Amino acid sequence: MSLQDLSIRRKLILITMLTSSVALLLSSASFLIYDLISFRQLLTQDLTTQAEIIGYNSAAAMAFKDEPAATATLSALKVKGDIVAAVLYSPDGKMFARYFRNDETLPTFLPARSQEKGYRFEGRYLEVWHDVTLNGEHLGTLFLQSDMRQWSTRAKRYATICLVFVLISGFLAYLVSSKLQKVISGPIVHLEDTMRMVSANKNYEVRAVKSYADEIGSLIDGFNTMLSDIQHRDTALRGANDELQTRTRELEEEISQRKQAQEELLKAKYVAEEASRAKSTFLANMSHELRTPLNAIIGYSEMLEEEAQDSGTDTNVQDLQKIKSAGKHLLALINDVLDLSKIEAGKMSLHLETFDVAGMIEEIVTTLQPAINKNSNALRVHLADQVGMMRADITKVRQILFNLLSNACKFTDHGNISVDVDQSTEEGLDWVRFRVTDTGIGISTKQQKNLFQEFAQADTSIARKYGGTGLGLAITHRFVQLMKGRIGVESQPGEGSAFTVHIPAQVTLEAVGSLPAEGNSDASDVIADMQADRDTILVIDDDAAVRELMSRFLMKLGFNVLTVPNGEEGLRLAKQVRPVLITLDVVMPDCDGWSILSKLKADSELSKVPVIMVTIVDNEAKGFDLGASNYLIKPVDRERLAVLIEKHRISRPRAITASNTAPKSRPPRAQKRGEVEAEASERFSHAENLTSRR
Amino acid sequence: MRPLRLLITIAIVISLSFGFEAQAQDSSVSSEYLIKAGFIYNFANLVQWPSNTFAQPNSPIVIGILGEDPFGTILDRVLEGKKVNGRVFLVKRLKSALDLKECHIVFVSSSEMAHLAEAIHLVKGMPILTIGEIPGFAKRGGIINLVLEDNKVHFEVNVEAAKEADLNISSRLLALARIVQEPAADGRKTE
Repeated sequence: MSLQDLSIRRKLILITMLTSSVALLLSSASFLIYDLISFRQLLTQDLTTQAEIIGYNSAAAMAFKDEPAATATLSALKVKGDIVAAVLYSPDGKMFARYFRNDETLPTFLPARSQEKGYRFEGRYLEVWHDVTLNGEHLGTLFLQSDMRQWSTRAKRYATICLVFVLISGFLAYLVSSKLQKVISGPIVHLEDTMRMVSANKNYEVRAVKSYADEIGSLIDGFNTMLSDIQHRDTALRGANDELQTRTRELEEEISQRKQAQEELLKAKYVAEEASRAKSTFLANMSHELRTPLNAIIGYSEMLEEEAQDSGTDTNVQDLQKIKSAGKHLLALINDVLDLSKIEAGKMSLHLETFDVAGMIEEIVTTLQPAINKNSNALRVHLADQVGMMRADITKVRQILFNLLSNACKFTDHGNISVDVDQSTEEGLDWVRFRVTDTGIGISTKQQKNLFQEFAQADTSIARKYGGTGLGLAITHRFVQLMKGRIGVESQPGEGSAFTVHIPAQVTLEAVGSLPAEGNSDASDVIADMQADRDTILVIDDDAAVRELMSRFLMKLGFNVLTVPNGEEGLRLAKQVRPVLITLDVVMPDCDGWSILSKLKADSELSKVPVIMVTIVDNEAKGFDLGASNYLIKPVDRERLAVLIEKHRISRPRAITASNTAPKSRPPRAQKRGEVEAEASERFSHAENLTSRR
Repeated sequence: MRPLRLLITIAIVISLSFGFEAQAQDSSVSSEYLIKAGFIYNFANLVQWPSNTFAQPNSPIVIGILGEDPFGTILDRVLEGKKVNGRVFLVKRLKSALDLKECHIVFVSSSEMAHLAEAIHLVKGMPILTIGEIPGFAKRGGIINLVLEDNKVHFEVNVEAAKEADLNISSRLLALARIVQEPAADGRKTE
């Protein structure tokens, strides 16, 4: 227990005792010092006087060189117990006579200097030098040495008395202070008791009693005031707390109700989404189913029309033309619905290629010329100089412009239609801007809001007057979005409209864009879909989900991705395409990844291709032994994978890419692409027919 | 004692004829008188004459040597420049006993052994310190007698004679002296 932690009572007693003891000690010490100093002076005087007497008495003996007489004189000092030694020196410094207490003989003891007068304190001895003279004539020197035993005796006695008095006064101080301290500690102890009572029982009605009007008195007053404050607050707080609890309970109820509602809403949302997806799938399927019979209808009506023309039955020709036109119209509608449902279902893909914008515009204008002429409109095309090649899905760009221009033709009569194309740079990207302006009926502000929504024409009456499905602008909008572009409209009813489309000059492929068809492992087909200027990564994994995820991710990183579900096929494909990197699974149904890795490393052509093991088997050492570059455990950390691939990409010379991209020729067109092209041309012809129909 | 005295006498004679060469030959004789000369000076220091003895405060203390002078130049040399209470010393070789009265100290040489009583009688009652080197000198009325014993010089003091001469001899001197009395005197005092 440290001094600070003592109780106030003890502290007060201690302080009083310490103070009095210190004061007493100091005063007695000063008195002792004074007394001892003056006593020393007294001793010195005493010894000097003694030296004078002895010197006087021995002067004659010195004069007559009577040594026995001088020795006898010195021997008289025997009665003085404190004198240790007395020596008479002749003027030439030789010892003449001497006396030592207890006959001690200390030959080296005596100091050599015999000429100096006076006294000095040497250690615990007092030494006096005195000249021995006879009628003023110097006869020698007397040396006296005293051990000052009176002095030390006196000091000891004095110290003892002091100690006794300090003890007695300390005891008295204790008695007095233990009575007097109650004046201070009493009220404090009382205050402490009250405080403890309050905090133990939480009873704020207790009050401390004030004894004196000193600082502790005002402390007690303050304490009492605080207590009554706390009492008030306590009451108020309790009230507030009750209220708060009621409110909280209410809130909790409300929250649980809302949560329930939210869950129901979520459920409803899932159901709705599911239904929507089902509807889209159904629509897509239905459109395919509908197109097959329509192909037959159109095909045969064309055939019949030719035959009717040949046979010259004009009525039949006209009827057959109507059948054909209606059929084509129906086909266009179905295609629109198919496109839209593909977009909705997330199955619309982009096929990027580099093409000449001017050529494309010319193509469209040629195709649309009949539609322009139909309402006696004038078309003006302006192409800015800097617009040259762009990289995008030409089919979709073409369809966007086609839709906008055919709309312009449709809603303009005896007016002007203009197409402006230029290029600009925004946010570090090059944009190609297409602007289609007409002087037609225009669109009201209200109508503009729903313009790009599916199945929403500006006015229901429009459908009756101008025809159309109302899907054109919606599909246009979706295509623009697909290529990361944007579309806008400015219009005044009765004055005309202006549609502006921004498309990046270099459209980049999103993961959604060009996924190889699921389950299609035909190498040549897959290769056909690859982009020439990208490096290829081969993914060997039996799990379809892994293949899908890996290819999406790696495409985002800017690679062509080939995926195969088994090792043997992977080996074959690797030899064919020479990938820059291979990812390899270990556990596969028909073979194990270790043997594939060994084969890859044994192959002279492929041994330098880095292989990253991606597996659930935790055997890194084996992987590295067999020659793997890196080892990743599933589920794969994408960032880690990206870093590893980037590392290999940097360390690898670009030679392979160069040889691959050398010819600027397009990759061989796939069957699918042909299909799309066919569809597009069909659509153009459909539009032609649509416009010519009116 | 006597052959020594003889020897001293011879030595003095020789010293007179051969100068300091003889002095060097017998140094113990000269050292004895050197001590005795010092003693005489010390006596002068420790004896007080009556206040009217000296005419003036700086009147010299006159030392007379009665009889043959055993000191030679030693006494003059020892006392030269010395002062007692501001008085210098004046050494006189006395031709006749009548000259004694001018002196304050009289050294009675051993040659005066025969005329001792006469000399003592002459100075009796006068404040003259008589010093002798004759055995029994003090007992016979002299005040201080120098005695050679064990090759050391001691002295005897006749306190009564000093009192009669009205000379105050310091107790310190008396403490070192052998006190002697004349056989005729009654009682013994040591003051």
